[in-house]
Amino acid sequence: MAAATPSSLVPDRAMHHKRPPFWRNVGVLKWVVQIVVLLLVIGAFWFLSTQALSNLDDKGIPVDYNWMSGPANIQLGEGIDTVPNSAGRALWSGMVTTLRLAGAGIVASTILGVLIGLARLSNNWLANRAAGTFIETLRNIPVLVQMLLWFAILTSLGDLVNNDPETAANEESGPIPGWLYISKKGISLPRFFWADGFYQWLVFLIVGGAIAMFVRRRIQAKQNLVGGTAPTASVPLAIFAAFAVVGWFINPVVGGIGNVFDAMESAWGSIPESGMRIFLSVAAVAAAALWIKRFLDSKRSPAGLAKLTDDDYFRMIFAGVAALAFMAFAWRVWPGGASWLINSGSDFWGWLGDKFGNGRNARPLDGMRPTINEGRFSNYGPTGWTMTVFFGSLFLGLVLYTASFIAEIVRGGILAVPKGQTEAAMALGLSRVQALRKVILPQAFRVIMPPLGNQYLNITKNTSLAIAVGLSDVVQVGQTVYNKNNQTLAVFGIWMAFYLICSLTISAIVNFVNGRLAIVER
Amino acid sequence: MTDSINTAPATDNLDALIAANAPPEIPTHGAVDWMKKNLFSSISTTVQTFLFITLLVLILRWLLGLIFDPEASWDSVATNMRLLFTYNYPADQFIRIWFTVGALLTAVGLTIAAWGVDPKLSVKKLGGNLVGVGALIAIMGIIAPASSTIKTGMIVVGVLIAVLGYGISRVLGEQKISFFPFLLVVAGFWLAVLWLVPFGRNEFIDGAVSNLPGTINPSTKIPWTILILLFLGSVLAGRALVTVIKPQALRLTMIAWWVVGPAFLIFLVLRDPQFDYDKVLRTDVPWALGFAIIGGAILYWLAKPGVGEIGRLFAASATLFALFNWVAAFAGWYSMLQKVRLSFLVFALFALAAPTFAGERSVRLKFVYAWVGTVAIGHWLITGINTVSTLDIAAPPFLGGFTLSMVIAYYVMLASFPLGIILALARTSKLPIFRLLSTLYIEFVRGVPLITILFFFSIMVNLFLPGGMELAELAAIFLGYALFSAAYMAENVRGGLQSIRVGQYEASDALGLTTSQRTIFIVLPQALRVTIPNLVGQAIGTFKETSLIAIVGGFDLLNVAKQSIPNQPDFLGQNKPALLFICAIYWAGSYSMSRASRNLETKLGVGTR
Repeated sequence: MAAATPSSLVPDRAMHHKRPPFWRNVGVLKWVVQIVVLLLVIGAFWFLSTQALSNLDDKGIPVDYNWMSGPANIQLGEGIDTVPNSAGRALWSGMVTTLRLAGAGIVASTILGVLIGLARLSNNWLANRAAGTFIETLRNIPVLVQMLLWFAILTSLGDLVNNDPETAANEESGPIPGWLYISKKGISLPRFFWADGFYQWLVFLIVGGAIAMFVRRRIQAKQNLVGGTAPTASVPLAIFAAFAVVGWFINPVVGGIGNVFDAMESAWGSIPESGMRIFLSVAAVAAAALWIKRFLDSKRSPAGLAKLTDDDYFRMIFAGVAALAFMAFAWRVWPGGASWLINSGSDFWGWLGDKFGNGRNARPLDGMRPTINEGRFSNYGPTGWTMTVFFGSLFLGLVLYTASFIAEIVRGGILAVPKGQTEAAMALGLSRVQALRKVILPQAFRVIMPPLGNQYLNITKNTSLAIAVGLSDVVQVGQTVYNKNNQTLAVFGIWMAFYLICSLTISAIVNFVNGRLAIVER
Repeated sequence: MTDSINTAPATDNLDALIAANAPPEIPTHGAVDWMKKNLFSSISTTVQTFLFITLLVLILRWLLGLIFDPEASWDSVATNMRLLFTYNYPADQFIRIWFTVGALLTAVGLTIAAWGVDPKLSVKKLGGNLVGVGALIAIMGIIAPASSTIKTGMIVVGVLIAVLGYGISRVLGEQKISFFPFLLVVAGFWLAVLWLVPFGRNEFIDGAVSNLPGTINPSTKIPWTILILLFLGSVLAGRALVTVIKPQALRLTMIAWWVVGPAFLIFLVLRDPQFDYDKVLRTDVPWALGFAIIGGAILYWLAKPGVGEIGRLFAASATLFALFNWVAAFAGWYSMLQKVRLSFLVFALFALAAPTFAGERSVRLKFVYAWVGTVAIGHWLITGINTVSTLDIAAPPFLGGFTLSMVIAYYVMLASFPLGIILALARTSKLPIFRLLSTLYIEFVRGVPLITILFFFSIMVNLFLPGGMELAELAAIFLGYALFSAAYMAENVRGGLQSIRVGQYEASDALGLTTSQRTIFIVLPQALRVTIPNLVGQAIGTFKETSLIAIVGGFDLLNVAKQSIPNQPDFLGQNKPALLFICAIYWAGSYSMSRASRNLETKLGVGTR
């Protein structure tokens, strides 16, 4: 295609040993170009943000986060706090709704997706074809359209009729009055919840679990030495169950832990603000220094320090710059950060102290049945577990859409395990179940896990479509907030930070599981 | 060497041996055996079969209940077809829509011919599919909660289709038909549907719903008849053309058309700009000619292999000048036409790229032709976009409904493609700062939902611009969507880049190629070929996610269905039929794309090379 003339291909002997001038030296040029581009990017950011700030200033909207603690004057459709006393609290309620939706969606779509993926592999023609049709239909329709269709369908269900036994005994909504209601207001079921004694009981569960794990290790170690069969599952389970049952009745015994947490609360609260700030700075610098030391150690071999590339220098410089940036953030950008950390840390210990201290005679779990009040489910007081049509349509849309992708992932993962593996397992004399559990599934999981993690990320991000039906998730609440106080930039910052934290957390978990599943190679 | 000579006949023998000793084909004994084998082979399979029959009947009956719901007014969809597909494009200018669709269909036909798409379809398989479809329609007729007329009609139609399919596969049996006869049959089917099926004539006449019996309106079925014939004709014409000119030439033309053609159709045909020819001749044409001629001459010189330092110096100063123009624009030092400013920037990019495309005379000429083409098309488009439209439209965006969804999806993919390649190259490069910037961008964008980015752009973009500059909301949304899509595109391209073996890099270094020559001529063509299936997947995703435009207030297909139609006084609250209808549209679009991608994968031999 492109060829230099022969003369330029033959190096001039006189030029050969001379260093090229700096404007032709790749070693210099690449850094010049990179730094120029970096400065351009930073300059563009600076230009755009000063424009935005000055434009906002002209409109009389100062950009800060003080409004977070100010009164909200908004009412949410649903969530942990439908009448929040501050805008920050309203956003927090929205975040919890988002997380609930994402969590429920992840669990349900995994179960449904695995079932459909297995049906797709079934040698039953009907199951195979039905699963195929399900997948091809649902994954080709936009999830937003599906959600809106579910919303249209759910809101055209029947009305909720009062279950007042005096007047309308025959008109009561169903299908099972008093236990299960399905109507245009949503679905309501009996509910179990953590009562006051739950946290004390949790102590028993944790201790019992730890002992059971320890015993299991011992039994396994012995089995590895002696061979034969050993009760690796039943004995630890029995120990755990015993702790759970005994703890259920005697859980108030450990209520004293509450005092420890109370002491922690006052200890944490007495940290001086400057001390916290100095601690944070020292920690940042120490972390950077430690990282650089470990990095250099990894480059060191008995033959001495390996030659460091530009990349390596860049990484070390970047670690230092990151530590300095953190310090600048803690001292200048957000001066109140240290005291916020102290206050919320102390609040956290106080909350733990509360949970472990009181309710010493309560049961760990309790239950309630759904109740209806004037044609709607009661919001307050004793009531069942209710899924509103808003949440329900989002949930159905998300779960069915994502399940169709997960089904394909599961199918692909199982098909990716070579047939020889099954045959080898059979030749070893494993049963079908054993072969599936010990040979096929571990290998299939390795293929399934990364794309599955992607789907979990997609579910979390797709919860933001809640705004289309008016569910009070973080995006919808945020929009309500900035429509009231015009703090668009600040609300966008909160959205982005929230979703980034969610995404990073999910990827971290998936990467961790992936690392555990990875083939250990010699 | 001797090995290959010896084994070649041996494999033939082996094939023959295998063919001779193949197990005898198991004779089939019809439906009962088939059911025994596939549905009732064991107790658990039998249980599964009954479970799935129950489930399927319940789900199908429920779905059909949505369609045959007595409260659902399907007139709301039939009357609003124009709204759904073209939103408020003026009815008296509809010839422009037909022209656009015709141009697109012709291009599709020519593209099919240029790539020689000619699958041999098995008649037996087609017949089998017809039997399946007929059986499904008949079963739906049996379980549908509808009036007995509809039920009998569905059963009769279903049985007829099934019998037709069975007949075809019995009579024509093992034959295979090629693509064009198949297209003829499909086209004939659609023409018959258009002219024979009594859908009814639904339209708004002076704001009132008119619902007459009969087939579709002549104003719809006559254009469509012409368009279908045009499509068939373009396939034939393309095939004739390929025998005259080289297929490669037609392919290149079609690729160029698919990049710029739709923009012409949108901005010059659909939008109908009212050119002020006096001004065009005095300013626009001279500038374009100047850039094309002077710029072309300079680029011809710059692409000479031995041009040396002076050429690089020239390219560098041209870049600085082009960038300085923008700084001056923001600072207000001197005025310059935006078009000229953009042209200088594009020229600087060409000048910088010139050494990469250096070579003999014909190569340099091709480079200059590319520049002249870019100037011609760019200047024409910019002039067209900046000219007032003659269309008399109540609400400003002249695109809406399905058209808007398609346009946004198409151009988001097109715009994010170069951006994604640049990001992917930066992320895989050895330069740490580029890698850091690109990784930060990609991971940030992939970590947040599209809807927050669309909100950001629809509300905030004008806040970030200096005083006096503005961006229309739809353009801002498009920009945000393209920037979002580029991050995903980058990840797809990166996958392709990682599949390139080290040997390719070493070989191109050994040939003495520069880094940019290696990237453009060696690495990217191979990487992009591997990426194609993922790109189609992303195109499907982009098409589906255009529905999010409805949330930020654009009147795309979804917003017409969920907001415009249920708010009409005649169809108050009727959202289910329209939503079901657009489900079908989205499904048809995505499903056909995924089928096409599967065929393309086999044709390109991705994964088998």
